[in-house]
Amino acid sequence: MKKIIMLCFTFFAIANVMAQNKTVTGRVTDEKGEGIPQTSVVVKGSKTGTTTDETGYFKITVPESTRTLVISSIGYAEKQVAVSDVPLQIILATSISNIEEVVVVGYGTQKKSVVTGAISSVKASDIDNQPIARIEQFLQGRASGLTVAASSGQPGASSTLRIRGTTSINNSDPLYVVDGVPVDIGGIDYLNPNDIESIEVLKDAASAAIYGARAASGVILVTTKKGRSGKSIVSYNGYYGTQAPAHKLDLLNATEYAALQNEASLASGGGILYANLAALGKGTDWQSLIFNNSAKIQDHEISISGGNDRSTFYTSFGLFDQEGIVAPQISQYKRFTFRMNADQKINNWLRIGTNLGYSHIKAFGVGNTNSEYGGPLSSAINLDPITQAIITDSAVAAASPYAPSANNSNGLGTLKDAAGNPYGISTIVQQEMANPLAYIKNQLGNYGWSDNFVGNGFVEVEPLKGLKIKTNIGAKYAFWGNESFAPLAYLNASTITLNNSFYRASNRSLNYTWENTASYTRSIGAHHFNALVGTGAYVDNYISRNSGITYQNLPINTFAAASMNFSIVPAYRIGSGSESNPHKVSSLIGRLTYDYAEKYLFTGIIRRDGSSRFGSNNKYGYFPSGSVGWVASKENFWPQNKAISFFKIRGSYGVTGNDNIGDFRYVSTIGGGRNYTYGSSDLYTIGYSPNALANPDLKWEQTSQTNVGFDATLFRNFSLTFDWYNKKTTGMLLGVNVPLYVGVGGPVGNVADMTNKGYELELGYNKTIRNIKFALQGNISHLQNRVTYLGADKQFLTGATLQSSQYELSRIAVGHAIGSFYGFETLGIFQTQAEVNSYTNKSGTLIQPNAQPGDFRWADLNGDGVIDANDRTFIGDPTPDWSYGFTVSIASRGFDLVVFGQGAAGNQIFNGLRRLDIPTANWTTKALNRWAGAGTSNDFPRMTTTDPNHNFSNPSSFYLEDGDYFRIKVLQIGYTLPSSLISKVNFQKVRVYVSGNNLVTFTKYTGFDPEIGGGSYGIDRGFYPQARSFTAGLNLTF
Amino acid sequence: MKKSYKNYIALFIAAITILIACKKTFLDVQPVGGTALEVSYYKTAAEVFNGVVAAYDPLGSETGSTYSDKVGLLNTASDDCAAGGGSATDQVSWVVWDNFTVSVGQGPQGDLWGRNYTGIYRANLLLSKMDGVADLTAATKGRYTAEAKFLRAYYYFDLVRLFKNIPLITASIPTTDIYNIPQAKPEEVYAQIEKDLSDAIAEVNLPNTVPVANEGGRVTKGAAKALLGKVYLYEEKWASAAQQFADVNGTPGGTSTYGYKLLPNFGDIFKPTNKFNSESIFEIVHTSQGRQDWGGWGAFEGNVMVQMIGPRNYTGPIYVTGWGFDPLTMSLVNAIKTDPRYPYTVANIDSIVNAVPGRAYEKGYQNTGYFIEKYAPKSQYRSTLGGVADLNYPYDYIEIRLADTYLMEAEALVHAGTNTSRAQALLDAVRARVGLGSVPVSLPTIYNERRLELATEGHRFFDLVRTGQAVAALGSTGFTAGKNEVLPIPLGELSNTILVQNPGY
Repeated sequence: MKKIIMLCFTFFAIANVMAQNKTVTGRVTDEKGEGIPQTSVVVKGSKTGTTTDETGYFKITVPESTRTLVISSIGYAEKQVAVSDVPLQIILATSISNIEEVVVVGYGTQKKSVVTGAISSVKASDIDNQPIARIEQFLQGRASGLTVAASSGQPGASSTLRIRGTTSINNSDPLYVVDGVPVDIGGIDYLNPNDIESIEVLKDAASAAIYGARAASGVILVTTKKGRSGKSIVSYNGYYGTQAPAHKLDLLNATEYAALQNEASLASGGGILYANLAALGKGTDWQSLIFNNSAKIQDHEISISGGNDRSTFYTSFGLFDQEGIVAPQISQYKRFTFRMNADQKINNWLRIGTNLGYSHIKAFGVGNTNSEYGGPLSSAINLDPITQAIITDSAVAAASPYAPSANNSNGLGTLKDAAGNPYGISTIVQQEMANPLAYIKNQLGNYGWSDNFVGNGFVEVEPLKGLKIKTNIGAKYAFWGNESFAPLAYLNASTITLNNSFYRASNRSLNYTWENTASYTRSIGAHHFNALVGTGAYVDNYISRNSGITYQNLPINTFAAASMNFSIVPAYRIGSGSESNPHKVSSLIGRLTYDYAEKYLFTGIIRRDGSSRFGSNNKYGYFPSGSVGWVASKENFWPQNKAISFFKIRGSYGVTGNDNIGDFRYVSTIGGGRNYTYGSSDLYTIGYSPNALANPDLKWEQTSQTNVGFDATLFRNFSLTFDWYNKKTTGMLLGVNVPLYVGVGGPVGNVADMTNKGYELELGYNKTIRNIKFALQGNISHLQNRVTYLGADKQFLTGATLQSSQYELSRIAVGHAIGSFYGFETLGIFQTQAEVNSYTNKSGTLIQPNAQPGDFRWADLNGDGVIDANDRTFIGDPTPDWSYGFTVSIASRGFDLVVFGQGAAGNQIFNGLRRLDIPTANWTTKALNRWAGAGTSNDFPRMTTTDPNHNFSNPSSFYLEDGDYFRIKVLQIGYTLPSSLISKVNFQKVRVYVSGNNLVTFTKYTGFDPEIGGGSYGIDRGFYPQARSFTAGLNLTF
Repeated sequence: MKKSYKNYIALFIAAITILIACKKTFLDVQPVGGTALEVSYYKTAAEVFNGVVAAYDPLGSETGSTYSDKVGLLNTASDDCAAGGGSATDQVSWVVWDNFTVSVGQGPQGDLWGRNYTGIYRANLLLSKMDGVADLTAATKGRYTAEAKFLRAYYYFDLVRLFKNIPLITASIPTTDIYNIPQAKPEEVYAQIEKDLSDAIAEVNLPNTVPVANEGGRVTKGAAKALLGKVYLYEEKWASAAQQFADVNGTPGGTSTYGYKLLPNFGDIFKPTNKFNSESIFEIVHTSQGRQDWGGWGAFEGNVMVQMIGPRNYTGPIYVTGWGFDPLTMSLVNAIKTDPRYPYTVANIDSIVNAVPGRAYEKGYQNTGYFIEKYAPKSQYRSTLGGVADLNYPYDYIEIRLADTYLMEAEALVHAGTNTSRAQALLDAVRARVGLGSVPVSLPTIYNERRLELATEGHRFFDLVRTGQAVAALGSTGFTAGKNEVLPIPLGELSNTILVQNPGY
């Protein structure tokens, strides 16, 4: 104490003596030693200050009396430093709570500390250098309230993304808004993830209501990178790596397969099919023929950014190239991207800017990626291991089915390998299950392409201080198409192409938006106001042109040789085309935000949307919301403490809408194609009739949501965000399921209701101990989805179907989660005939008179003494109750380590990999533990060819597996070269790293991949698994 | 200067903003070309005709949720054919009707039910849309009305025979009543059918015959009378049936007032190159001009059953490979073995394949080696136009043909006990055409003649059921009396409605 007093006195004395200015210099860096530009350096207690340059250096002239400088920068913790005569070395720690962060909200930004809605932010820095191709992967596991499931492991494939559960039975895809321009979900892959600066996920209605009619399923705001004033920066980021499947199925080998087929045949009254089992050996491992253990992946991006205090720019070129791990010859994705963002301050009241992106994509797809009807995966699983992949025996190759025949004219259809040997054709397993090698050859060269131009331009005028008037025009002009050739092919008896054909499709569409907003910001004392009003016009399919041409019977037989220059008679030149209806929305927007001393917070929003998709009865919808917040930690009574230094409590309620239902569904439209042929000329006449019944009262689906949450900073290093929500969707547009006797499709009605309830927790922890920087980010979400109403007369809608099963696999049913699995329950297996005989109803008759030992004992759930359709019940749910993710990063002395893991729990997967209607389809080795006599198994029934007890053809709990998984998505180790070394060659930063992705997946699920999104959520029909990959990369900045 | 400039821009933006907000027509989107709204359709005679075509369309339906060719399915259900195909699970709905394990959830009922009600809806709609169409003449309107009523009767006749207890809908259903339609008594359905057909016959603008080249397949007065006669026969109104048939048939062996006459050569009846021949009274038309591929599923213009019934993986002359459905039963083969109609009815693939080395076919499920000849896929008729040839066979079905109406009239007369000499003459004419001598007319001889004459044409199952022979003929394959005469009401139709399932299901 004495010392301090002495020190103060000394200072005081010096100040008195010298009483003049002095210059202080220094550099502000982050913990990695990189300069932080635009950092504010202010003399404590005064307004004197400056900002750092682009490399973090500053120079400030301060009164000689100055003792302390306050250093602050967005995203970093504020720091106070004592002035010194030697240059200061100031290291800012990354902000722990991110409280001072600015988040993007609709039509503007807001300080995170005063945000009252539930918004999750993901920054580019969170996902740097990870091998991701699309925005969904950017988000997976990074934000609470979000479930992301890949719809395929095919390169470039989209993922199913749900914000706070499935909002509607119709379309629950969130709205993407990229730099203020809504982009349809199908086209979002034009966006190079490297160009993304930040993503904000608007989860509650209060945040999303500003996007009104299209916001019911949440909004994802994407901000692309912008230049910063200062020296131009050139960066290169790239990686190269290989990918491999993580997991193969254990399928029966030929000997095991034949033994089980013999057993099945005998049980069904047939004879021994394969007398000499041992001679069959292991047979063909079809999986090894389709999987690629060294699929390449590479990504390169060069960006140039910079600017001055009047204008900034950011330009980037990117190239992404990924080979598939399944049938790589026909599974590939290449994307070239170009971006140019620029911002220009013309003068102190006029600002203009543009964000322009272009992408070219070329993709080869295996097709049928999650389908039981063929494709390489499904075929590899179902084909018998006895058939040879390639026929090398010339005698066999010269005989049926490889020889020329009526179905295989000239033998041209028999596909052969490079050595001229035909690909094996199974006579045991047929239908769509073609030899995958032949399938690949058959599809070789087929590709799809797209060219997308997405951009916006704005003009902003500030006629008065605080008043900003902005007009923003955005557009997406897309061109896409595909080319495919189907050669003469004899893949098996039921997959025959007798005329070759060459198809080319080309399409284009233009969507545009025009928004005009006026925003006024004013502070009166501690009262801070912002008012926003605006209009918007949105047109999808302003232009929409689709056309396709097929040429048949070309004189050649490969894709490479195919051309539309061949002269083909008109009968074999078939064209088709279509145009889509425009979809228009016109909007009025109003928002008022107010806070008092950043302590009491309020936001109110109202938006009116009109949509061309509704009739005059209900063309317009109103979407209001309100939210309040209270930063309790700013109150005077809040004790200054380390335990809780920041605490904000929030609450919101709002209504959003959904018109994502297709066009002209409020009226009855007339459709063609109801044709009939009159007369002996055989020329048919096109008939027309209504497509469906009309519903002139059709209106918006409404989703109202209540959200309560809090944000807190604990012990300085912990940040914590919690939200609880209750989301109710009412009047969901449901194609009213009318009975077939009505004779025409039902209308769409505002029928169904659904709720999603859940809670979410996001946690951050940052700590630097000595030279070791440690950071943890985690999130976990719980979700409960319930369908609450499907109309007065309806308890359920039938959901997914599987193969030839007579019963649907899932239902959308009142009181249950959407898409819940529905089927029979098994009560074990009848071990003896006595058990079959004792399974009787009240009157003593057998419940399963046709059952035999080894068959499932089905639960007679309705107790009527027979097993039939009425004995089905809800047996599982494909949507996870829990989803979570976390990132741990440690950095020290130039080294950095990142571990990112992500998982889901509480869901089931329907394992539908094996075809039910092909009794000869292969099994996994689980079948080796089938029932084969009393006491051998109580969960896997006997082998038969006819399955009289429907052991396998009934959807039942037999097929359901636990879908929980936890996956180490990323493990990355990097090293940043010391600046002392690289500054000599004028580099600002050089970092090298190696990364492993999808390294380990912990799951009990026995299929390829437990993460099954897409059209048949949670149903595995031969899912294209995600790759495990290893990449090495380089980051350069100069 | 600068200040005002700034304000002008602000004002300009504000003005445009207001302009957009106020432009009401912005949201009035009209459908792009090719899509019309129902409210503005059916305003011209051409549009009404498009509705007529739509009402005919379900006649030729080949596929729905699965393959559901009506003739193919009825053959399967009868003792003429088994289900066949690649395996016992190839087409489950065919197999379960073959062995009468049709259940509520599994069988062909959904497609058969849906197709007919689609036709009924379109006929009802057409009937309601023809008033006040400016360029629709009274004569054309009369003809379309008669056609719509005929088609409605036709669809109801299929439904009442297949399902017995069905909702009877003769106008568009108000939205509020969609789920509250009860099943009508079969008598009520039959009464409606009789009324519709009688109306059609009474319509002066319904032609007796149509020009074959461009109207073949459209409803004629002869077709309406033949169908009405058939309906009466099923109702066991023998005298009324005979009366209708008499007009259609005319003098046995001669040419009737509607121009019908037995073809001299039995084999010529079924040739796709001999459509709308003089024996054809009502014909279901198919064409290869659709040039369709699999994308046309649900709306095939070709006859897909032709492809289905061909021998599997066949290598040999005449025929083209198919999928092995509807193999003939030995019961039919034995019955027709010595009959002159045998070569036109039975394709003996085994003998063709065994005759020359190198020929082959795959013996599918329930294979007997014998296949349907009348509609067999032959290389000479296989489409060489574009599309998938398998799906574009141009084979028609003659739904009602003269030999059938001869035999039905003979049957009605024998039942009625009147004019048995005409009955004898009708039976004799059918037999004489194929070179067979006279046999005394009686129900058993008529039934036998029907089986041989009309084999695999889709009549046998209904004949067995209506004449009470079903148990005898089909009992061994699983037919249960009191249940399998009809199909179950499709499962989906029972959800949320007041329909009641048929007995036994």
